[in-house]
Amino acid sequence: MSAEFLQPFWRLCEASVPEPTARLRDSGRPIVGYLCHYVPAEILLAAGAQPLRLRGVGSEDSSAGDAFLSGRLCTYVRHVVSLALEGGFGPLGGVVCGNTCDHVRRAADVFRKKTEVPFVGFLSVPRSPRQDLFPYYRRELARLYSGLCEALCCQPSDEALWEAIRRMDEVRVRLWRLKELRLGARPKLTGADALAVHILAQTVPPEDFVALADPLIAALEASPGLEPPRAKVVLIGAELDEPAYVRLIEGQGAFVAADRLCFGARSVLPPFGKEPTPGGASRGDPLDAIARAYFFRPSCARMIGDFPARHEALLALCREAEAEGVIFERLMFCDPWGADQHNLGQRAREEGALPVLFLTREYGIVPTGQLRTRVQAFVERIEIQRARRGMAWGAVRP
Amino acid sequence: MSRSTGLRTPRLDRGKLRGREALLETPEWRELLESLPVLRSFFAGDPGAHGITALLHGVSIYLERLFDSIDRGAPCVWYNLGFNPELVYALGDAQPITIEMLGVMHNLLGNLDRSLAFIDRAEAEGAPGDCCSADKLAAGAMHLGLYPSPACTVGINTPCDAQVMGTQVMAELGRAPFFAVDVPYYHNEETVRHVAAQLRLLVPFLEEHTRRRLDIDRLREVCRLSNQMTETLWEWLDWRKLVPLTQSSKLVAFTLVLQILFTGTEEGLAIARGLLQEARERQERGERFFEERCRAIWYQDPVWTDMQIYDWFERDLGLTVPVDVFGFYAHTTLIDTSSLDSMLEGLARKLVNCHPMARQFRSDIDVYIQDFLHLHEAWRADCGIFAGHVACKHAWGGIGLFKEACRRAGIPLLVFEFDMFDPRVTSYDDIFFQVERFVNEVVLPRKARGRG
Ligand code: SF4
Ligand code: SF4
Repeated sequence: MSAEFLQPFWRLCEASVPEPTARLRDSGRPIVGYLCHYVPAEILLAAGAQPLRLRGVGSEDSSAGDAFLSGRLCTYVRHVVSLALEGGFGPLGGVVCGNTCDHVRRAADVFRKKTEVPFVGFLSVPRSPRQDLFPYYRRELARLYSGLCEALCCQPSDEALWEAIRRMDEVRVRLWRLKELRLGARPKLTGADALAVHILAQTVPPEDFVALADPLIAALEASPGLEPPRAKVVLIGAELDEPAYVRLIEGQGAFVAADRLCFGARSVLPPFGKEPTPGGASRGDPLDAIARAYFFRPSCARMIGDFPARHEALLALCREAEAEGVIFERLMFCDPWGADQHNLGQRAREEGALPVLFLTREYGIVPTGQLRTRVQAFVERIEIQRARRGMAWGAVRP
Repeated sequence: MSRSTGLRTPRLDRGKLRGREALLETPEWRELLESLPVLRSFFAGDPGAHGITALLHGVSIYLERLFDSIDRGAPCVWYNLGFNPELVYALGDAQPITIEMLGVMHNLLGNLDRSLAFIDRAEAEGAPGDCCSADKLAAGAMHLGLYPSPACTVGINTPCDAQVMGTQVMAELGRAPFFAVDVPYYHNEETVRHVAAQLRLLVPFLEEHTRRRLDIDRLREVCRLSNQMTETLWEWLDWRKLVPLTQSSKLVAFTLVLQILFTGTEEGLAIARGLLQEARERQERGERFFEERCRAIWYQDPVWTDMQIYDWFERDLGLTVPVDVFGFYAHTTLIDTSSLDSMLEGLARKLVNCHPMARQFRSDIDVYIQDFLHLHEAWRADCGIFAGHVACKHAWGGIGLFKEACRRAGIPLLVFEFDMFDPRVTSYDDIFFQVERFVNEVVLPRKARGRG
């Protein structure tokens, strides 16, 4: 029954600009694309724009981007830039990039110099989620907000920021509930479906998302859940916005019970839970609240010195999801995730560590044969390990 | 948590590196030490080679100090190549160790078996094949347990993502307190202040973990030496503007090595003075080892695996490289030594605005292009050579706009792909062939037509 409510998510996330977002643009609302989850959607909403997490879906070849970026950058960025150069996003009111990695940094150069996008904002995000570096990030957000408001001819205000927080909280509450529905002996949502849902949360207006999510949640809650999977895994890594890739993994018996994907669950903050109260003064500083939530969120691999915290969080997630293994995916040429690949590999050699499967990908390609074989072998490894320890399903703990 | 055993050996067994003897039992350190006198005698045949002689002498002193500090149990501080060690030197007997050092030195000495073993080891330990070989040299040496245990480690995110990777690997393998220095994207005063504020926090961090006090007068002396080295480098680079170039092309890239290893020391100043003296004397004597037919700005990375290739460019093609991006040290202000704050600000400015690579590579493409155009004009070059280290993603990511800028400025540009520390990617012969064809078929005919 839930399939019918999932279908729109899969359908809509096939477009780089999903239909509800395109409709909003037709009604005059500017679309502002962004490239990384350290760019708070709230800032864009508060400036009167519709945020659109940029994806390369629909780009069949990246040659337009390659002409500027070469073939040595990650294919995600190359496809996004190709789409932008070829007008694949339609008219954008702005784009916000960051120094999240060298690839996105260079994409910003191309947006500035080679596209007609009227506003190209930039966020210099400190490289470590340390308290003393937080004020810099907050200043960057303030600068971005005022620059964007100026470009889009609107007045910056705390009210608008609180309203944006409230709208995004509606989204977050749903995503949080969906996360819970992935857990348990009979999970109700596959990892592939969850990724499709998360993608929409970042590419359509909050209200449209809520309208799609509510009936889905109701249907899932009423469903008995899926058959117990052969093996549960946690999927982590960078830019993976292809649910079909996850579906292929799951098709081999590795059920993605939770993820830390850039486009997936890592993009979700807990609801801020602060309802704006009339009068304003006592509510604190919305920009500060946004900055804190984004800056101190579970970190991306580009944050230096935070790998131990990321690793701890991963283990906690594995425990919560009762996962028996980790699948780590990395786009070719990505250095930030290269570091985590090395470090996670080191820790995976420790006694009693969970098995980890490392996959290197190209954006937009689902390499069926090789992927199938590797995931199947990984599932067997998990099963053998489980049998060796003489434990029941799910008893292998990190 | 206990580590599993039975993996490839040796593995991070740094506990054994208690004294110089232990260090010299490893072929990696022994061969390094043994090759220095050989090289010195090799260059002794050229009494005018003050630069390389001073460099080899400086390396000997550095190694001697390193061995000595291990014998005394003095604290070591590991850091990556985007950082400059003045603050560590100002702690007295703390020993700075840049994690790329051992691999780079073997590479420079032509001991490729060793450096390639570092690269292979890093990949076997999980470093992706497509990451920078500078990182892999560092990771390999750390995995082999070749550096004495650090009291603490310092990582900086410049010049690029590769360093973000290198520092995270260092933080994991160093197993010591780690301090990250964040350098923002922008070229402005706020960036300098932001970095200076972190250096202010770095001081107590270093003091705590090395158990050494930072003495302000010692820091002042270190900064004074650092300033003198900088001024000497500026003067040296000015001599290299003269046409024809009389000092070897291959020496210029060593500015980076100087800043990473020697800045703030007497040896650093002596090396810079050696380079200057050599350039001046050769120019004044009008020495000609070859006929200069054209000059190139070598942008991106030097061919560290075989620096002799520059000699062959000179001799066979008449091509010189008066300056490259690793050699260029931007003219900005010196460190103001009047107070701790002013020194920290000066050190921050140096790290973000002058340090080769960090200056050009961390920000938008405009800075990268402007510096190239400046070098091309000021060093009176005829062409540009983009020696594209395969893993330099930020550089490759700017290639389209860079080519466009060169085209607009009428500068012929050669673009090729190689790995600066791994000749298995592109061979010496292939590099030479590409440069040869470019010089003979593009640059020289163009020059003959009067457009160079
Ligand atoms: S996958 Fe890696 S290289 Fe690509 S955009 Fe993300 S962080 Fe950057
Ligand atoms: S700038 Fe290039 S060569 Fe230097 S560390 Fe980064 S990737 Fe390696």
